[in-house]
Parts: sequence; C-alpha cells; structure tokens
Amino acid sequence: MNSRPNPLTDPDAFALSVNRRTFLQRSAYGLGGAALASLLERSLGVSAAQVGTPPSWRGVLREPHFPVRAKRVIHLCMAGGPSHLETFDWKPKLKALHDQPFPESFTRGQQLAQLQNKVLKARGAFCKFTACGKSGLEISDLFPRIQSIADELCVVRSMQTEQINHDPAHAFMNSGSIVKGRPSMGSWLMYGLGAETENLPGFVVLTSAGKYGLQPVSARQWSAGFLPSKFQGIQLQSRGDAVHYVGNPEGVCQSTQRQVVDEINRLNGMLATDHVDPEIHTRIAQYELAFRMQSSVPELSDFSKEPKKVLEDYGVKEPGDGSFASNCLLARRLAERGVRMIQLYHRAWDHHGDIERAMPAAASDVDRPTAALIRDLRERGMLDDTLILWGGEFGRTPMGQGTGRDHHILAFSVFMAGGGVKPGISYGATDELGYRSVDNVVSVHDLHATMLALMGIDHKRLNFKFQGLDARLTGIAGNVVKPLMG
Amino acid sequence: MQTPFRSQPRAVRALGLMALAASAIHAVAADRVEYNRDVRPIFSENCFLCHGPDKNTRKAGLRLDLPEEAVRAGKSGKIAIVPGKPAESELVRRLVTSDADDLMPPPETHKQVTAEQRETLRRWIAEGAVYQPHWAYIAPTRPAVPQGGTKKGTSATKAGNPIDAFIDARLALQRLKRSPEADRATLLRRLSLDLTGLPPTPAEVDAFVRDRSADAYERQVDRLLRSPHYGERMAVPWLDVVRFADTVGYHGDQNVNVFPYRDYVIDAFNRNKPFDQFTREQLAGDLLPGAGDEARVATAFNRLNMVTREGGAQPKEYLSKYAADRVRTVSMTWLGSTMGCSECHDHKYDPFTSRDFYSMEAFFADVKQWGVYNDYDYTPNPDLKGWSNDHPFPPEIEVDSPYLRRQASQWSQSMRAVEARVAKDATRGALREAFVNWRDEVRASLVRQPEGWFSPKPSRETNSVPILISDSAVVSPSGTGEARNGESVIRIPVSELGQGTLAALRLELLPDGANAITLSGGSTTIRPSFQWVDAQGKATSARIRFAEANLSEPRYANGHEMLGIQDGWKTSSKRSKEPHVGVWLLQSPQRVTTSLALRVTLRTDQIRNFRVSVTPLAAAYPLASGQRADTAEALSPGKSGDLAKAADALALPFLLGSDAPAIVEARKEWQTAHGRWLECRGGRSPVVVTAAWKPVPVRVLPRGNWQDESGEIVSANPPRFLPRGELPNSDSLNRLDLANWLVSPANPLTSRVFVNRLWKQFFGTGLSAQVDDLGAQGEWPTHPELLDWMAVEFREKGWDVRHMVRLIVTSGTYRQSANLRLELKDRDPNNRWLASQNPRRLEAEFVRDNALAIAGMLNLEIGGPSAFPYQPANYYANIQFPDRDYRSSASAEQYRRGLYSHWQRTFLHPMLANFDAPSREECTATRTVSNTPQQALTLLNDPTFVEAARVFARRLLSGSDTTDAARIRTAFRLAISREPRATELASLTSFLQLQRVEAAKQPTDAARLVSVGQWPAAKQSPIELAAWTQVARVILNLHETVTRF
Repeated sequence: MNSRPNPLTDPDAFALSVNRRTFLQRSAYGLGGAALASLLERSLGVSAAQVGTPPSWRGVLREPHFPVRAKRVIHLCMAGGPSHLETFDWKPKLKALHDQPFPESFTRGQQLAQLQNKVLKARGAFCKFTACGKSGLEISDLFPRIQSIADELCVVRSMQTEQINHDPAHAFMNSGSIVKGRPSMGSWLMYGLGAETENLPGFVVLTSAGKYGLQPVSARQWSAGFLPSKFQGIQLQSRGDAVHYVGNPEGVCQSTQRQVVDEINRLNGMLATDHVDPEIHTRIAQYELAFRMQSSVPELSDFSKEPKKVLEDYGVKEPGDGSFASNCLLARRLAERGVRMIQLYHRAWDHHGDIERAMPAAASDVDRPTAALIRDLRERGMLDDTLILWGGEFGRTPMGQGTGRDHHILAFSVFMAGGGVKPGISYGATDELGYRSVDNVVSVHDLHATMLALMGIDHKRLNFKFQGLDARLTGIAGNVVKPLMG
Repeated sequence: MQTPFRSQPRAVRALGLMALAASAIHAVAADRVEYNRDVRPIFSENCFLCHGPDKNTRKAGLRLDLPEEAVRAGKSGKIAIVPGKPAESELVRRLVTSDADDLMPPPETHKQVTAEQRETLRRWIAEGAVYQPHWAYIAPTRPAVPQGGTKKGTSATKAGNPIDAFIDARLALQRLKRSPEADRATLLRRLSLDLTGLPPTPAEVDAFVRDRSADAYERQVDRLLRSPHYGERMAVPWLDVVRFADTVGYHGDQNVNVFPYRDYVIDAFNRNKPFDQFTREQLAGDLLPGAGDEARVATAFNRLNMVTREGGAQPKEYLSKYAADRVRTVSMTWLGSTMGCSECHDHKYDPFTSRDFYSMEAFFADVKQWGVYNDYDYTPNPDLKGWSNDHPFPPEIEVDSPYLRRQASQWSQSMRAVEARVAKDATRGALREAFVNWRDEVRASLVRQPEGWFSPKPSRETNSVPILISDSAVVSPSGTGEARNGESVIRIPVSELGQGTLAALRLELLPDGANAITLSGGSTTIRPSFQWVDAQGKATSARIRFAEANLSEPRYANGHEMLGIQDGWKTSSKRSKEPHVGVWLLQSPQRVTTSLALRVTLRTDQIRNFRVSVTPLAAAYPLASGQRADTAEALSPGKSGDLAKAADALALPFLLGSDAPAIVEARKEWQTAHGRWLECRGGRSPVVVTAAWKPVPVRVLPRGNWQDESGEIVSANPPRFLPRGELPNSDSLNRLDLANWLVSPANPLTSRVFVNRLWKQFFGTGLSAQVDDLGAQGEWPTHPELLDWMAVEFREKGWDVRHMVRLIVTSGTYRQSANLRLELKDRDPNNRWLASQNPRRLEAEFVRDNALAIAGMLNLEIGGPSAFPYQPANYYANIQFPDRDYRSSASAEQYRRGLYSHWQRTFLHPMLANFDAPSREECTATRTVSNTPQQALTLLNDPTFVEAARVFARRLLSGSDTTDAARIRTAFRLAISREPRATELASLTSFLQLQRVEAAKQPTDAARLVSVGQWPAAKQSPIELAAWTQVARVILNLHETVTRF
C-alpha cells in the first residue's frame, strides 16, 4: 500500500485533536529534542532583517499533493460586496431595461435582503465598460488602472455564495462555514504549509476604510477557530503598535528588553534541568521568537527605503497612514518577507444608496494600489508564486434599491492573478440581466478548493479532527476549477 | 517496529512510534477483540461515511454499523461479515484486494486501514463479530471498585479513594506505580490555582507545610472549596460551553445586558447547587413553579446565542440560525454530542437523524425572541417599533445585583465622608471663612425668593423663533408652521440676583390647560444648551455635571439605559399632560457678576411653554435642589445660630455651591464618588431572560435550508434512539421536560459528559479525550469503568458537583508529582495512564489573576458588571452600528479578575485571545493550550503586566525585607510558592545589579517605567524601583509562574 504518510490517517492529526501539546512538542516528553534544537538554532542564527533567507517552520503536509504554483496569497477583500454589474460583468440588456419593472420570472421565490417586500425595478450599470488589453476583457471604466493590467487577470464572473448578510457572508468566504469557531483560509494554509518566516506572523491582516458604504468586520474572519491559536491571523494596526504588545513598555529600551528576555530564558533553562516538561523548552524558544518579532515588525513598516516612484505608483500619500494604498505596499513587503497569507480588507462597498457617488469613490481607493501591487510583484518576479484574489463577500442586485443596489448572492465576480492562474481570461457567465450565474457556476467552496490546489494542496486531504469529524476548509463540498489554472 | 519509518524524517518517525505506542495501550489487556474499543474506531474512521447511518451517502446498500445489516447478503450477493469466518467475509477480502476497483476504503478517499487494523478486524470476525452498542449510549451502571493494586507504599496512595483504585489497577497491568506525592508547597499551589484560580499566599503555604496533622491536606481542600473564589474558578469552563459573552456577536456586535447570569453561575457553584437543578433552572427556570428572580436570571442561558440586528437580515433565516445554535449547545454541553451535523443530514457516525435535530429545536420554539432585533421598513417589526442599534435585546427583567448594591453603598459612604470633612473644616478649619461668606450670600438671596429658585424674566434673542414671554417668565413659542420649526433662544438676566453663586439650573415644560406639554401630545427629545454671557457679550458654555427629570422616557447607548438627561431629555408620552421638571447640576458653581446673563437655546418645535430658573442650592439628587426643609433653618435670615450645626446641614450645598478655591479638591472628590454612585443605578440591573410565548411550528428543513418549507412539522422530543426514561409520550413536551430528561437516570450521557469535563479540568485531558464528542468518532475512554463509576456516583449522590471535585482532588492520583516520567515516554507518551500529574499552563483569565495577585493588586470582589482592562488603542475601529470606543475601567475595577473582562465576541481582548480564551460565539468544551510568541509579547509588554511588575516591585521594596536576597526570596514565594535555588538567586541578583546600573544611566526612562498604569505612584526612588520592576517582569514571565505543576 501507499508508503507515504497519509494526512487523513496521519497520526499527528489525531494526536493534535487528542492532545495539542503533543503536536507542538512532538510528544509530551520532548521526543522532538532535535526539532527543538533546530527551532532554537533558527531563532538565534539569522539576522532579523535578512530578507530572502527567513527561517521557516513546516506545516502538517510534508509533501505537496499537487505541483506548487503559489506560495502565498494576497486577498484583497472588498468588504461590503462590490457590484459585479459595475466592475467585471457588463450587461447591456440590463442597461436597456433600466428603470423598467424587473422580470418576475427571475426573482420569484428568491431571498432578498433590504429589497424584501419592495417593487423591483431594473438598474443598469451607471458606468461604461471597455474591452482591455490583448485579452479583450471587459472591465468597468471605474477601474482604469486595473484595465491596464487586464492581461494579468483571471476573472470569474459566475460566483455564488450562500449568505446574504455581511457577517455570515464574510464568515462563509473566509472559513467555508457559517458556524463560528471554524478556521479561516489563512489559518488552514498555515496549518498545512507552515510559514516561510518566524520573524513575522505567518498570516497578517490589514484593514482600511473608504468614505461611504462601511460595514463592520469581525476578528473571527481571521480566527484560527479550532486550530491552535498559533495559526490565527494577526491584525497589523495602522496606529499604535503594529502588532499588539510588540512595542517595548514605556521606558524600556531594546537592550534592556534583551536583558530581560535573556534572564527569563536563563531562569526557564534552570527550571528545565529540574522539571521534565517539554513546554519549558518551547517557552524558551517562543521568547526568542517574540524578541525577534519585536525587531522585525518596526523594520517591516519602515517605508523610508522605498523609492519615491514606488510610493507614487501605489498612490501612497503618507506611508503607514492606514489607507488601502499604504496597505498594498505593506502587503508587498510582507510577501517579500515570507508571510503566507496577507489579507487586506477595504471597508467601502456596501452601496445600498447613492451608488453613483459612493462606488467611484471606493473604486478610486483601490484601483491604483491594486494595479500597482500586481505590476510591482510582476517586476520583482514574485507574481508567479503569489496568488492575488480580489473580490467581496457577495455581489449586488441588478434591481435598483433607490439610488443603490441591495446584497446579492446568486451572482458576483472576483478576479485572481499570478500564482498559477490562467492570465487574461474570464470564466463563467451570468444570465443576460446579471441576476444569476448560469454558466460554469463557481461556489465559494470551489474557489477555496482551487486556491488550495494552486498552493499544492488537495482540499479533501487537508483535515483536522474536530468534534469527531475530519473538518476541512471546504466542508463536504468543493471542486477544483481546473480551467482557472494555467 | 521502526522499520517502516526509517526512510522518513525524524519527526514523522517519532509520531509513528507514538501512534503505535498509543495502540499498545489498548492491546495490553486485549485477549479478545472488543467491538467498542477496537473495531468501532476503525469502522467509524474508514467505513461509516458510506456504510453508516446516513442514508443519503450510503453505498451499495451496505451498513456496517448495524449487525443485522452487516451479515446480510448485499446487492452483489456477497456477505460483508460472516461471523466466525473471516475467509468468507467480503469485508476482509476488500481490505486487501489488489483490484483497485474493489479495494476498500477506495483509494480516492485517501483513507487507509493499516495492517494492524486489518488484523484486528479479521480477529474480531473470527471471534464471532460480536457487536456492542456504543458505550456512551448505554446508561452507566456502577462498576465494582478494583481491589488490591498498589495500595501500600507511597504516601501518595490515599487508601479508600475509588479513583485511585481504578487508576492503580490500570497501572498495575503495566507493572507501574503512581509517582510520589508532590511536595507540600507545590501541592497547595496546584490546589489553590485549580480550585480558586488564585495562588496561595506565602503564609498559607507555610501553614500547610508546618501542619503535621493527618488531615492537613483535606482541611486545605475544604478551605478552598468554601472560598467564594471557588465559584469563580468553576464558572469559567461553564461560561465557555454556554458561550457567555457581553455582546451579541453578529454584525454590529452590540452589548447585551447579561452579567447577572454570570453571577448566577458563580453563585450556583459556590452554593453547590445540585447539577440537576442547575440544569432545570437554566433551560426552564421560567417554567418552574413559583419561579423567582434567581431561576429567571438562569434562563438567560436560552438567550446567550448570537443574534443580529443587521439591516436586510431575514428574520426567518436568523431564527433558524438561533435555533440550530441552541441545539448544538445543548447537545454538546449535556450530551457530549455533535448534533450540529444533523441540521442538514442524518449524522454520519452516530444515530442522530435530521428529524432528531429539529425535534430538539422544537423544545425552544416558545422562547420569545426576534430574528432581527430592529424595525426596518423591509422587515417591519411592530414589537420593536422605533428600535435602534442602541437599544437592548428584549425580553429583559430588572434584578438586584449584590455587587452593585455593595458598590453603591461604598460610594455613598465616600460622598458622606467628604461632606463630613467639609462640615468640620467649615466650622473650624480652612473653610470657615469661605463657608460664612457663602452662607451670607445665599441668605441674602433667599430674602427675595425663599424657595431658592429664581426665574428672572428673560428676553428674546434675535436668532430665536417667535416667542411670547409672560411676567412669570414662562416662554411660549408663538409662530406656526415653518416659523415655529426652530430654536427658542432666550437671555436671562441672572445678574438681578445680586452677589452670589449659582449651582443648578431648572427647565420646566409646562402644559397649557388641558393641553399636553408637546403639540403632538406625544414624546419629544430636547437638548437645551446653556451659556453664560458676560458684560462684553462673550459667551461660554455652562459645564453640566449631571441632570435628571421628574418625568422622562429611557434613552439608550449601546444597550445601556443612559443615566440622567444631560445628553438629551425624552419627555414622557404617557404623562405628557403633567408638568415636566428637569434640573441640571453645574460642574462648578458660577459666580454672579454684573451684567451676567444665562442664554438658553432649545428646539421648541414641539414644546408649548417652558420656564428656566436658577438656584445657588444644589443637591445630590438634582431635583432636590433649591431650598429644603433640612437647610431652611440654617439659612433663615437673621439667625446666626450654631455654626457647627449649620455646617452639618449645609455641607453639601456649600460644597457644590461655593466658588472658593479651597473647596475645589473636595468637590472633585465628591463628584467622582457621586458619579460612581449614580452608575450603580440603585443596585439594580437589567438582564435578558427567557419568556415563553406561543410556540412557533418547527419543520424539518431539508439540507438545513430555511427557505424550504416542504419538511414535516415536528414536535419537541429528545433523539429517538436514546432512552426516554420517565418522559411521557406526548406531542407537547416543553423545556422543563427536556431538562428533566437530561438529568434523568435513564439518560446515559449527561453525567458522563460532566464528569469527563471535570476530569479534564484537573488532569488536562478527559478520561475520554474528546470531551465534546462521546459518540462514535470520540475516543474509547482510557478508564471506562472509572468514568462510569464517577458518572453514577455523581448522579446518585444528588448531582453534587463539590463532592465530585473533592473526590478528585483528594485522590492520590491528583496529588502526584507533575514531573513527567521519562521512562514512560514511549509506552504512554501522552501520560494517559496517569503515572504522574500533568503540568498545565493556566487559562487566560487566571494568567491575569495570578499576576495581579502576586503584585498584590487583584480586586477580589465577586460578581457584577464586566470590567474593561487596558486594551490597545483603536482595537474596535472596525466595529460599527454604533461606532465603538473603549474606555478602560477606572480605579479598582481595572484590577478585577479575568472572568469579569468585557467579552466582545467579534474582537476578544487580545490578552485573552493570545492565551487561547474562546470568543464564545459557539459552545466550546475544549480550549486549546498553545505556547506562542504572542503570549511572550503579552507578558512582556501588555501594560497590565508591566503595571503589575512595577506594583510587585513596590510591594517587595515596601515589605519588611532589607536585603536583595531576602526580597528575591519573597518574590519567589509570592509568585511560585517556593524559595529560589542558589543558582536562581545568584542569577537574579546579578541581573538586579545590572538593572540598577542601566536605570541610573537613563533616569527619565526609569521614571516612565515606574509610572505605567493608573496604580498610584510609589514613593521609592525611581531608579531602584525600575531595577526591581525589571526583576519583577522576569518573575512574572517565568514559565513556572504561568504554569501549575
């Protein structure tokens, strides 16, 4: 039979659920002494700022299931749910029907959000679309710079989700489940693949906000759920300490902090000679890592060495101002430093009303930085193994809601770029009014399965025993959408 | 055994070894293969998905979970299991065939049955393929306590504790004995942290170490079980399973009024409420005969699920989410079962059907609730008309809070203490002159207006809407339509009062004959603004401290009723024909100067008549301002009387009304106490509860789809396959029936589930490791007889939780040393035989408590509203509806225990999150125990721990010790209940010397470090204090400090 360790029957997956300490420590008795030694070695050896040879730790997958196309993900989450009808899904028929009653044959018996119990009228796109690049991808004129990189994009026009309100829809997009306490995509990736750096968290979240259409997001969107908290996303703050508690206390300089950490570890080392408890060794290693993180995080957010031209390309007005532009630049720096999953939330897309003013504003927040990020990664040779995902938690109704559009789950668009996706294509289609995805429908689980496949992971084989089940990101569903892969 | 792993990396080899060792545990006593122990796990892991209970995923019509099915010829005519004849059993053939099409499990599932497992299955069939019902679904009976074992020998053996007999019997099979008992100091620290979440004091440790009586340990157990902090410690895991939090979780994650439920849980454990009663009260307290507040507060349990008030949410969809959440919680908390799977399909591993899931939902069909707690035009909700994001989440009741009552009385004493001091100083101290002057001025003014309220006739300012002003100073907006739709602006010539000060302002809204105070007759909200205008026309806002009205309607801010009307006065709609009176207390008194005027601006589009008055005499209850019976004599003109008596009567009006600089500090102190006293709201608090209303019909939702109404309507019933016990066969069972069934002797799960979780609390791992799933996918218990013995003991001794806790902690098994035994690392790598105790990192809340207790700053008050520990700025920036700010608690509340921390579900406090506290969005029976860099960062840099370190340092420096060594010894005894070893002492001593040098080099830094946090500054030299603060930081960060051994 198969001699390769099989993650499904892999003893450590079970050990994890039975006794997590076992996982962290390889066994309660520190059988992983060698592993610990190498952890310490890594912690002490390499200079903190050395980009390119960051220390790493491995996930549960020892060998990829598929060829690895992408090593990391940058998810540009357009929180609030951008209209597909004004981004990537041009519907001339809808435009023609503008302000006319929306055909009931489409909507009968369907779930609506704020349009419940309302008269439904068609609302055509308020902006023009242009066929761009060699690929001729149709992209809304609200995004001139994204238009200019059309040939890098792999647009999916036939997305569907299951949740029509922001909170559960985000949860579904991030964790594949609406039940709370499920790990998010980034946590699954860390669990499966480990990280290429230990100087920084392996899963980083940045948030920014536009002028209109703001909706809250919850830290559960980057929670490790039932996976160990080691795998949780760490939100970098735009003000104060970038990572909570990463700054030294008031009145403590870095050299004193070093002395404190040394003394803690010296005493912990003495304890270890007296007590058989491998957690002590882990603790010592974690203090080393913590101290290194304290040094690496400030370096990460120091943009002073970025050329002026780069700042201009991204549209960064003031580095570290918490704007989407600044976050995109930070995302590139995180990617360079081996962070596995980088998630940017831009809260600006909930356009129930005044869409003609609000959506151009949101588009102008993200258009330039998104295009600059993709181009920058391309120029640095990093786009090939960096998977970009751009999109919201759902789409918006082709029916108008006053001066805007309501939430919509039957159709929306996202795009991917880099990381082994087929560039310059569109996939799937909605019906003539953009109401329902009809051709090559892609579910959120399919999207997850495809993303994992690009990372070299068979989504059916990345499991964690939880409450007696082999839980996975895609639940019991999900099909890899091969035509999206280059 | 190692051969198969030789080609793999070391870690993999290690894991493989471990797995083999783990199965070796089971193999030892196994002369015969047992279905439950040996076979079911293999089937469950590899076969049941396609050949188990779920008919929708069943392949080839074959079920392996039922014996009568497994021995039947399948569609192909072949028989999966022929008892006694493995060679004829298709199952055996399929496991080994080289034909990829026939191989089981199919290669594409990536499941794999090992050679060892195949042999187990073969032997089982050879031995007759005897099935057993799943162990957890058979009601436990009390097994005989094993005799013999390792009773003599170590002092750790506590003869007579049945737990030890079971553990020893298992160890004896391995020819092993328990470890020796831990030393006394370690033992007491373990016991204190386990039973109260607090470290022992050095005095407690000394007393125990010295105590040579035979029952010394038992007496410590009794002392700690009687501690009021026992309930706090026991509450924490319960709050995890019931998912207790301060916010609703979905979308805007608004606050919900719920803390009295936490108090109920703490109190229940402290009073050792029998678990069956505890169960009944929480699920159905409202249905108990003569239900009082306590039982009703308990029913908040049914309201702890996440809820939403998001615009555009479909009420029906969310009602279905809430219902499913309740089933998941109840089934996991009491039944240790993952019924959640059956929301969409029959359970794949356990006999729960989809129908069972919805039948459980039906028990809660009468819980009064709303799908969306708001009233939107697209989802009208007449019950909550006018509701906003700031409103609470009904239904609620108001109950007594002992904590708030204690606080109210304490703050009221503080107020009185200030008043008494002022009275004394006014008679013969520094305030005498100020007092006499103030009294003379007030007396003079009272000559003109004995009741103390003055209403000089105002004039209209040019930007006002048209108004009429009567001679009695009543102002009546007179315009109509647009012209009236604006603000009335008047100027009151308060200088007419002559010499003196003003302390309070009054606004009366007056009805007009039979007409209400408002034009509509309903309620209106007004926000008057008050400005002082001087002779030059320069205006400054009058700063308001607090205001209240005789008649008003509540206004809310993020779920809490706002205190006072200073931020807006919503008039009464029911009593709108009565005069409304509001009084505003000034932050500090205003001196009346020549030409001083008071400008009042208010929206009067709804107001008929109003009048503004001023007074020099303010009171603690604003409405009592002005002249009063108890001040009248002391203020009556002409009488000079006894100064001391006058000062006693007038202390408060003097304190609030005098502008003498000498009184400012006292006034601030009084105002702070007054503010805190007001916040206690008379010792009352609202709390969400369960109220029953007409049950809504519950349908089976095909695939969990709430829009699909094709499913059958089901009545409330427990899962069909479980014994019903005394439960009547009825279609109208209610929550009380459910509760009674859960704790009935027929129920095989509840008592096992509870004692198994309890075991985990004291040993780190349950007897069945998967405490949240005792079903087919769970773990065969390591000590099944012990688990059953304890389950029966628990039930038969009246569901006595404290009895079970005492049994556990007095066992020799519990009292063993926590030094893991190297010689067992291969045989029992996870220490499941318990040949030693397990060391365990403290849970998040207790990491905090422990540090604050060591520093001597922990607030040991029990119960009450949640507190707000320091938290990084802008942490709630991504929460909206309403926007959130976070103000960390002032004074003693800052130092409350971790379990009282404000639990924001969408953004759990980073310290709690970093130490693995769950967000409590979902029932959580197992907290992970991680060891991460984030934990190191928290202990090193979180201001809470830095402040604790500097206060700890102060404690060391202000104690009786005089040498560095003595102080380090004390520090160790406080933090980890032991003396430092020589090497530790030497290391810390030289570290201290270094820090002295460092601190002396950077005195400004030293000063900053020793003033982190709001704890009062110490009088010691900042340099010395800073050096010791670094020592204290080291000690608070030690692995040993956050671990109980």
